[in-house]
Parts: sequence; C-alpha cells; structure tokens
Amino acid sequence: MSSGRNTFGLRIALWYATLFVGGAVAIVFLTYYLLSVSLVQRDQQLIRAKLGDYAAAYARAGARGLAAVVQSEQAVTPERLFVRVVDRGVESLVLSNPEGWDPQKLETVTAQLADGTVVQVGKSTEAREDLLARFRAALGFVTLLVIGIALTGGWLATQSAIFPIRRLTHTVNSIIRTGRTDARVPIEGATGDAIDELTLLFNAMLDKIEGLVSAMRGALDNVSHDLRTPLARLRGTAELALAGPANVDRYRDALAVCVEETDRVLVMLNTLMDISEAESGTLPLTREPVALAEIVSRVVELYKDVADAQQVELQSGGSLPADLKVDGDRTRLEQVAANLVDNAVKYTPAGGRVEISIGREADRAFFRVADTGPGIPSDELPRIWDRLFRGDASRAERGLGLGLSLVKAIVEAHGGTVSVDSQRGAGATFTVWLPILSPM
Amino acid sequence: MRALIVEDDDTIADFVARGLREAGFAVDRVADGDAGVGAASAQPYDVAIVDVMLPRRDGLTVIEDLRRKKIVTPVLILSARRSVDDRVRGLQSGGDDYLTKPFAFAELLARVQALVRRSSRVPEPSTLTVEDLVLDLLSRRVTRGGKAIDLRPREFALLEYLMRNPGVVVSKTMILSHVWEYNFDPQTNIVDVLVSRLREKIDRPFDKKLLHTVRGVGYVLRP
Repeated sequence: MSSGRNTFGLRIALWYATLFVGGAVAIVFLTYYLLSVSLVQRDQQLIRAKLGDYAAAYARAGARGLAAVVQSEQAVTPERLFVRVVDRGVESLVLSNPEGWDPQKLETVTAQLADGTVVQVGKSTEAREDLLARFRAALGFVTLLVIGIALTGGWLATQSAIFPIRRLTHTVNSIIRTGRTDARVPIEGATGDAIDELTLLFNAMLDKIEGLVSAMRGALDNVSHDLRTPLARLRGTAELALAGPANVDRYRDALAVCVEETDRVLVMLNTLMDISEAESGTLPLTREPVALAEIVSRVVELYKDVADAQQVELQSGGSLPADLKVDGDRTRLEQVAANLVDNAVKYTPAGGRVEISIGREADRAFFRVADTGPGIPSDELPRIWDRLFRGDASRAERGLGLGLSLVKAIVEAHGGTVSVDSQRGAGATFTVWLPILSPM
Repeated sequence: MRALIVEDDDTIADFVARGLREAGFAVDRVADGDAGVGAASAQPYDVAIVDVMLPRRDGLTVIEDLRRKKIVTPVLILSARRSVDDRVRGLQSGGDDYLTKPFAFAELLARVQALVRRSSRVPEPSTLTVEDLVLDLLSRRVTRGGKAIDLRPREFALLEYLMRNPGVVVSKTMILSHVWEYNFDPQTNIVDVLVSRLREKIDRPFDKKLLHTVRGVGYVLRP
C-alpha cells in the first residue's frame, strides 16, 4: 500500500522531470543551432566583403596590386585571412596563408572574375569552434543543473500534491478498519483547488452515508420495536386457540384474527420502509406534472361512499384550477391526499363536514383538508407527525399511527412542507405545501 | 391445467400447491433452479410459479433459460423484494407477473388464472355468468334471474372483478387496486362500504346469496 503510494509519487515526479528536461534540452539545442548558424553567416559576410574588395583591386592593378593591398591589410588586422589567386591556367598564387592555419578548417568563398581568374578568400573557423565548444560546455552544465532541479522540484511538488490524497487515504483506511463513519478529512488552508474540492465532496459523501446508516438503524429499531406488539397479539391468539378445547369455529375465528394481524404487520412494515426511504432520500419518485385538481377529484370519488355512510359531507371547496400543477409522483401524492382525507373522514362525527381545497400562494401550491371533527389538543400537535404516535382520541380507532408520518415524509421528499392548524373542539386543517410547477 | 412451482421454501410451496390443487390445477413441485429448468423443459405447463432466491440457479436465470429455449409458459415471479427495480428486472428477464412475499393466496390465484387466461387465447367473453347473475361486458348491463340491476360505475367494476375471478377470495387490497387503482392501505372501510352496497343490489332481493365475506381474508363470489 505504502510502496504503491510512493511509486505513484515517483512516477509523477519522473514524468514531470522528463517533460521539463525535454523542454529545456530542446531550448538548449535550438540556441546552440541558432548561434552556430549566425556565426557561420557572420564569417561568410566578412569573407564576401573582403572578396569583393580584393576582386576590385585585382581588376584595377592586377596580381601584384592585389598582393600589395593584401599584404598591407593583413599586416595590420588581428584576424588574418587566407587569400589566393588562381590564374586562367593552373598556376595558383597564394597571397596570404597565415602560419598554423589548417586548410581543413577554412571557411572559404570563391569568386570568378570576368577574365577567368579565380580569387579565393578564406577565414579560419578555429575561433568560431572555440567559442562554440565553450558554449557547449556551458550548455551541458546548465542541462545537468536543469535535470537536477527538475527531479528535486518534481519530487517536492508531487509530494505536496499527494499529501492531501494521503490524508484522504488515511481517513478511508481508518473508516474501513474501525467502521466508524464519523471520521472526516481535515482541510488545512483551503485554497479551493481540485484536491480541496475532492476532500469536501468526500466529507459530504461521508455525511450522506452516515445519515443513511443512522436512518437505517432508526428504521430497524422502529421495526423491531413496533412489530413486537402485533406479533404478540398474533402469538397470543394462536396460543389461546390451541390451549382451549378443540372447536372448529373457535379455530376459524383465531385463524381469521391471525390473518388480519399478519396483514397489519405487513402494512406496517411496508409503511415504515416507505417512511424511512422517503426520509433518507432513497424513495424512488416517478416525477411528472400532476394536476392537483385531478388528485382532489380522485380522492373525493374514493371517499364519497364512506363519507355518505358516516353521514359526513365530503366536498371540494372553492374552485379547482385545472392548471395548478406540481412536479411529483402521482401515486405518492394520491397516497398523501388519501391519508389526509382518510383521517378527516374517520374522526369527523356524523353531520360534520370535510372540505378539500387547493390553491396557490406565491410559488407554492397547497392542498388543504379541513374537517369539523374534535380537533387535536395543543399539547399533542407537535407530536402528530412522529412515527407511531397516537393521540388519546386516535387510540380508539383502527390505525397504525403511521399515516401522518408517511404524509410528511413523502411531501418533504418532494421538497414540500406540511402544516396543521387545530384547536380542541374546532376541527383540524391539514395543509400540504408543494413547489409549484411553473407553466412552460 | 398444469402448474409448476419452483420454490425452495417447503411451507410456501406446500400451501401454494394445495391451494392450486383445490382450484383444479395439477401441480408439480421442484425446489431448485436446475430442477425447475429441467421440469419446465420436459413437459408443457400452463403456468409456472418461480421464486427468485433459489439454490443452484436463481429464478431470473431460470426464466431467461426457459425463454432462450423458446418455452413460453407464462411465469409468475415470487420475490421477497418489493422495490420497483426488482419488479422491472423480473419482468425484463421474461417473467409475466410479479408478486411480493408475503402475499395472500387469493391474490396469487387471481394472478395465476389471469396468466392462464391470457396465454390460452380463449376469446374474451362478452358476458360473465355466475349462477343466474349475468354481467354483459359490452352493454354494461347486469341482470339476475332476468331482472335488470342498476349499478353505479364502481359497483359495476367491483362486480366485474369478482365475476372474472369466481370462487376466488379477493382481498381488500386487491379490490382497492383493481377498482380504484389506488395502491395503499386505507384505515377506513372504503371497500366494506362498496361491497355492502353491491350486496344490497345483487343479493338482498334474492334467496340465494352469491357474495360472501371470508373473515380475515376478503370477499368471494361463488354459487
């Protein structure tokens, strides 16, 4: 693990050093090449100028005149040139051949005059080679220096870049080892660079995982706690039937109770799962534009007969604007509406009224269910959204105590809120607020 | 009608097999995936009930293998997982329907019969009949003993559902999802209210009662 990390750092350092050195060497070569080319050009220009002068002198005064000019000039210049005249025939006349010059190391330019005579001027390349050799040595030194700097610098830079990654690795290791998800990667001197961003994201991911894990633990605790009661009833019923005298009718009754209790356990399990999934953000929502008016008419249709049977007046109040739409999961929102209406119808005594209305306020749409039931005592109000909380009045009724928790969880998963307004004896009004879907 | 059950849990396989036999099916049982593929390939079944979690070869692979062998027996998948993804995966592997454990046997039977009906390509009947109760699907008229009965739309939908599954006990949840297309469990007695109104119209004026309540389970229409 550790050697792997170091190899990674070394690899990056080498990679950068190679690039850096490659670039430096390219520059060095280019400089050297340009310098040598310009030196050659300078020599050639000088030689050409002299050649022009000498050709003119030869034309004016012949070989002798040229020799005089060459001698007088070469005697005073510090950098002596090689000068030679070749006649039309094969006879060549060397006018100046500074001692010690190697003909191999001559940069020469030749000109043919009008009468066929050839004048040649040469310049030793020794000085030039000397200069280039010193330059090469200097460049070699500089290149070595660059390689050294590149390797060291690359290594140091990589180490400092890898350090936060190491910190991340360390944290992940400790989480894997200990199973504790509350560890976080420290951020020092946040510069907002990519690594800091990664660290922040990593911490955010840990937050999310921790939230999910604790939600799951909570759900598991709830499930195991809340399943005990119906399971106890289930077991009790069966045990009682077995302990008593054998009697088919008694058995049938007991079995029917068992089936009912089992269904109740199943519904409770599913609802608890839905709630915790909605709370942890893992409940899959099939979102589409949903017209609240449709939800109202569906839920009124569903509960009309029950309300009739209980002599409760169920109606949609006010206008139902058909274009009032929210972005949501139709089935889930219907479930929300049905749960609220179910509660309202259940608790409203005969002769009472349940009214469903929808509307908008600013950028929020609302769905409201108001009843004329007994209302909710103010000390119970804050707790009605809690899982499995059942107020004094509700204990007498059939139910799980999960309906409102589910409503709240689903609405909040849609980015909405729920509110309740109630006073003892004055009915209750539940309102669901959802972000409105702006018309396209 | 022949049915194949591929399920490794003995108790579940037992009660499904017994229930299907009572409903008139000839039932074979196997307890692992390999045996499931073998049995379904060896002879034709009208329907297969396949559990997802099986030893040796899981249920979805079994279905894929069968479909690859061009065996088109309709398959009802049983699974303990209830997420939409699992359902989709099950249907994509070639299953025809999906039922989550625990389930009411009534629901399983209704689904199995629906699968058999669908695959047997018997032409859709235009009338449903139980005893002297006749429901005309085209004119949407209901008569009992020749006397016309006036039903409201939901009552008609409930009666149609019960008459399509004669002798099958249907649960409140099944009625709720078929008649209203609502998939949740209401605390109030929506279904009871509708059933008692229907009973009021099709049973009360007549001597012989057809619509029965099975306590703890649901309702059944039988002669």
